[in-house]
Amino acid sequence: MRLPAFQYLEPTQVDEAVSILDTYRDQVKICAGGTEVINHLKLRLIQPAAVMNIRKLADLEGISEDAQEIVIGANTTIKEISQSPLLKESGQAVAEAAFQTASPTIAAMGTIGGNILQNTRCLTYNQSGIVLQGLPVCHKQGGTLCLAVKGSQRCFSVYQGDLAPALMALKAQCVLLKKGSSRTISLGELFTGNGIKPLALEEDELLIRIIIPKPKGLYGSAYRKFRIRGSVDFPLASAAACLSVTADFHLADCCIVIGAAGPAPKVVNQASSLLEGKTPEEADVAAVAEMAYELSEGVDNLILPGTYRRKMVRVLTKRAIQAALETLKRRR
Amino acid sequence: MEEIKKRSITLTVNDETYELFTAPNRTLLEVLRDELHFTGAKESCGEGVCGSCTVLIDGQPVRSCLTLAVAVEGKAITTIEGLAQGDQLHPVQEAFVTHHAIQCGFCSPGMILTAVALLQENPQPTEEEIRRALSGNTCRCTGYAKIVEAVQSLAGEGR
Amino acid sequence: MDKYAYIGKDMKRIDTSLKATGGALFAADLSFPHLLVGKVLRSPHPHARILNIDTAKAENLPGVKAVVTAKDTCGDKWGVFRYTQDQQFLPTEKVRYVGEEVAAVAAIDEDTALEALALIEVQYEVLPAVFTIEEAMAPEAPQLHEVYPGNINIHVHIEVGDLEKGFSESFRIREDTFSAPEDAYFQGEPYAVAAQFDPTGNLEIWMPNAGPHLKAKPLSNVLKIPLNKVRVRKIAIGGAFGGRSEISPADVICAFLAKKARRPVKIVYTREENTVATRQAHSMITRIKTGVDQNGKVLSRDITCHLDGGAYSSTGPIAVSVPFLCMEQAYRMDNVRYNGYRVLTNKPIRGMFRTHGRAFACGIDLQLDRLGQELGIDPVTMRLRNARQTGDYTPTKSYVASCGLTETIVKSAEKSGWKEKWGKLPPYHGIGIGCNSVQTGFPMGIRGGSQALIKLNEDGGATVITGIVDNGQGNDHMIVQIAAEELGITPDDVQLISADTEVTPSDPGSYSMCETFIGGNAVKLAAQDVKKKLFKIAAEALGVSEGELTARNRKIFVTQNPDQSMSIAKAVRTSLSRNESISGEGSYWPKVDAKREWVKNPFGQLSETFSFGTVIVEVKVDPETGQVEVLEVTAAQDVGFALNPKVIEGQFEGGIAMGGQGGMLTEFLKWHEGRVLNPTQLGYLVPLAVDMPKINNIIVETMDPNGPYGAKEAGMSVAMSAAQAYCGAISNALGVYFKEFPLTPDKILAAIEEKNK
Repeated sequence: MRLPAFQYLEPTQVDEAVSILDTYRDQVKICAGGTEVINHLKLRLIQPAAVMNIRKLADLEGISEDAQEIVIGANTTIKEISQSPLLKESGQAVAEAAFQTASPTIAAMGTIGGNILQNTRCLTYNQSGIVLQGLPVCHKQGGTLCLAVKGSQRCFSVYQGDLAPALMALKAQCVLLKKGSSRTISLGELFTGNGIKPLALEEDELLIRIIIPKPKGLYGSAYRKFRIRGSVDFPLASAAACLSVTADFHLADCCIVIGAAGPAPKVVNQASSLLEGKTPEEADVAAVAEMAYELSEGVDNLILPGTYRRKMVRVLTKRAIQAALETLKRRR
Repeated sequence: MEEIKKRSITLTVNDETYELFTAPNRTLLEVLRDELHFTGAKESCGEGVCGSCTVLIDGQPVRSCLTLAVAVEGKAITTIEGLAQGDQLHPVQEAFVTHHAIQCGFCSPGMILTAVALLQENPQPTEEEIRRALSGNTCRCTGYAKIVEAVQSLAGEGR
Repeated sequence: MDKYAYIGKDMKRIDTSLKATGGALFAADLSFPHLLVGKVLRSPHPHARILNIDTAKAENLPGVKAVVTAKDTCGDKWGVFRYTQDQQFLPTEKVRYVGEEVAAVAAIDEDTALEALALIEVQYEVLPAVFTIEEAMAPEAPQLHEVYPGNINIHVHIEVGDLEKGFSESFRIREDTFSAPEDAYFQGEPYAVAAQFDPTGNLEIWMPNAGPHLKAKPLSNVLKIPLNKVRVRKIAIGGAFGGRSEISPADVICAFLAKKARRPVKIVYTREENTVATRQAHSMITRIKTGVDQNGKVLSRDITCHLDGGAYSSTGPIAVSVPFLCMEQAYRMDNVRYNGYRVLTNKPIRGMFRTHGRAFACGIDLQLDRLGQELGIDPVTMRLRNARQTGDYTPTKSYVASCGLTETIVKSAEKSGWKEKWGKLPPYHGIGIGCNSVQTGFPMGIRGGSQALIKLNEDGGATVITGIVDNGQGNDHMIVQIAAEELGITPDDVQLISADTEVTPSDPGSYSMCETFIGGNAVKLAAQDVKKKLFKIAAEALGVSEGELTARNRKIFVTQNPDQSMSIAKAVRTSLSRNESISGEGSYWPKVDAKREWVKNPFGQLSETFSFGTVIVEVKVDPETGQVEVLEVTAAQDVGFALNPKVIEGQFEGGIAMGGQGGMLTEFLKWHEGRVLNPTQLGYLVPLAVDMPKINNIIVETMDPNGPYGAKEAGMSVAMSAAQAYCGAISNALGVYFKEFPLTPDKILAAIEEKNK
């Protein structure tokens, strides 16, 4: 399929890149691995005046650590993340999420920045003209109705990124740079929960780094994803769990995040109150899974029905927690 | 819309350099097929899912349908046409032929290049590792059984 | 000395080295000087009257060299059968599905062509549309075609025996309804056409096809030029699976553009266009009533099937009949009635698919399992009790010359450990069986036979000329293998000219698995014709009778005394020196009933022989997710004789992936008002390498009396019976008999939840 015309920009330094963002604003789209932006260009979902390739920017790649935190450059490939011994040890949910993302070739092209910042998806949005021609324009495309849910006033497009729920379970932060300033926010703050404009990233901001604070003491984390086939596909439901324990093996800090369950990944906020202070055996995993289910959203805008996908959120939450508990027991 | 300028780029494909004058909105797949007549890489989905467009860039499998030609200057691009040495098929090509891993042949260039990269990175993959490495290449004809056998035949003892 | 030099041996195919190097050219790979890019404008409405098409702006756009609409055609309606002529290649009055061709342009590059499409102004009067069988058959439903009242365009009615008597004698009767939505081919290669006219008006055209001669005739009709000016050229083809059998609007459009522009034109479909604007497979609702005696033998069966055919007929009569015919071949049923209705809807056109009617086939087999359960008889025994046998006549009166169905059932049961497993597996762990049968061709009127020509060169090499087409399954290799075997030369000595309507004689095409049986026989006969002439010369030269000779390794020798020999090259030169050219001809017309017709007279010999296959599958189901893990598949098929065993295994394995793993677990089209929501491989889930299970292949050989070397077919029986076995296994794993397919995880989970209530 043919790409529309655009100016091509290829900065080599980060300050060049933010300068370009400052100048072009919403008229420039960022291309890292290209796995989303090239697709969206082909489908004419975006038609920017310029495309900026950020893969050649210095200092945006690689995984490093110090005593407090693990730092991942935004251009680090998903493949590298899945193979990182450091992340497999200290950020297991993230390494697992990366391993389960897409297919090996796409994971080698795609970057963590691109994966986090992916747009929400819907079967009536991610289509070419041959499907959409003749249909009214939906909310996400700037129109006034929802093609997936008749009569809906809001957009139900789904956030299907694999890495973000895992990163959020580990309380990750991200560094956003713009001309003249930068800010560091928790990853969860990047997501608006609005399917039409799912990201809180400003037009002139560039995501440059992801920071994972190293939890204190013993902890385990896991990411579980549901897709019908064994590769390639986006999650139809997902869950990430990060659990830490005190010295006498009672659960302390717990964070459960669900994905593909709405326009943004969601933290199961009440989970901590159910889990903290309990031993792994006492933990009411089923109750937490039920909370995740209540929090999840699912309509019939992906390949399997929404009611089913919500049930999978429940199952995967349980499995992610159990896997994290297994890791804890193993590390004891 | 202001006129988009074409630019000169130099692509290195199968160890030879090509001077091209091309617009930035051309994918590597289009340029390989339409300008350089390397038609081994195919478009079967256009969105990076099926793997038929796979070429190697610096030895790594890449979806050429999702890659801008202007972005890969200076990199070593290998297409299926660059594997054989004269009349001598590359061992992976030979294994595919011998083991009947090719039926209609449309997915074969992408599949073979992905297998070449796999064996380069992991010379003794298990069956599970082979299937995972090839999971991003769809084949409608073979059911993958003989493709896996072909790669296994080159995988030494396996593990 | 082995009986055969090449037949039956595992050999590299002659075409795969070129495919491995990327040197095989598919239609989209072709380039020509002054090539224009063709693009098609498609209807945005599922049902609308065309009021006006204004192409002026498009025609005036610099770089546009031709624009075509219905005005450029004579507006004739075309159909595969005389009674299904309902499709214009560019419609004059109405569009009937989203994606239907309305106009087309040829321009100097793709960007210009796309820009030109956007400049074509079409005024439509939108009409109400129907999207389901129920909607289309409702009393006040909008009619798609005036000639098909009630939106039913085909009704196949077959009735044999005395159903009421059979039911009255039945010990158990079941009536169930099974359904499945559309599936789609997803050939690796998206459709593409390239066409050019030479200065004297000969058309050269390349496109993926399942029979170039079947493409040439409609082109000749629509372009109003004789057949000898229509050259449908040989091209590498990236799969067909039944979806590339007939002339396509793209073929006609490309030819018209090339004619108008006086330059070569190439149209390359996107994946979406391949899914929406070529063919899809029918969705079906099948009601089956079956009565069995105490031993599980079927006494009566009454089947009603409604198929959603989309907007036009395509190969409707065939697609309506084949699901039933496969079953009447596979299983004995003395008293049977079949009513098949093809219903028109405002959706893309449906045709024949390699896995014909999964709901139908799965329904028949699941019912056998269920009736068996009520009788205390296991599924394998139920199959054995009803299996077709050699020497039988099917209900529609086809004689079955060879049948290894029982052998396939017994062998696959043994290999899969059926006896140790069935009824003894832990919960959520199941095993199931499916049986099916496929024709080798059917009556095709003047297209039903194949002819091959062979010429020999003075150095002993041969050229084989045949209309047989290769869609990727290995037919090219089969031709060379047979010719080399019969002529006594090596495959390298054989030059193949095939599937090119300028030079190759007519051939039915690779439908319904007939190329080996019909085409292969023709090649064998042609080679034998040549050999006879060579033997006459050699017999004289060696002083023996012709019956004492063998041809092998480029020599003709006395069988009992191989040193007494003459090279084939010498034999050829000897003949030439006597002013006698060496060439041969073979022609094979299957002995089918020429009066048999799908609708008007569905009785008589359908094809000369049939293949039979059994698949057994073992699965595990995750009770929390409904996800299926397929542990092992065993496939056994009576192929008659295996010309190349590895090639046949490849067909089994590919068939299991398409019919079973995909067809029963993941493949379906999802709709929104007549629009496909999953037209690409991202939403339509074909199996991946990580999804496929361990496969055991069992080749059963019954040595068909008429097949070449005993061979029948090998591409379809397993694909169909795999779907049945998959659903049987999942049903067994859960103790639930499914009625709606495919068995995606949500359906399986719903069944588990329902059962646990």
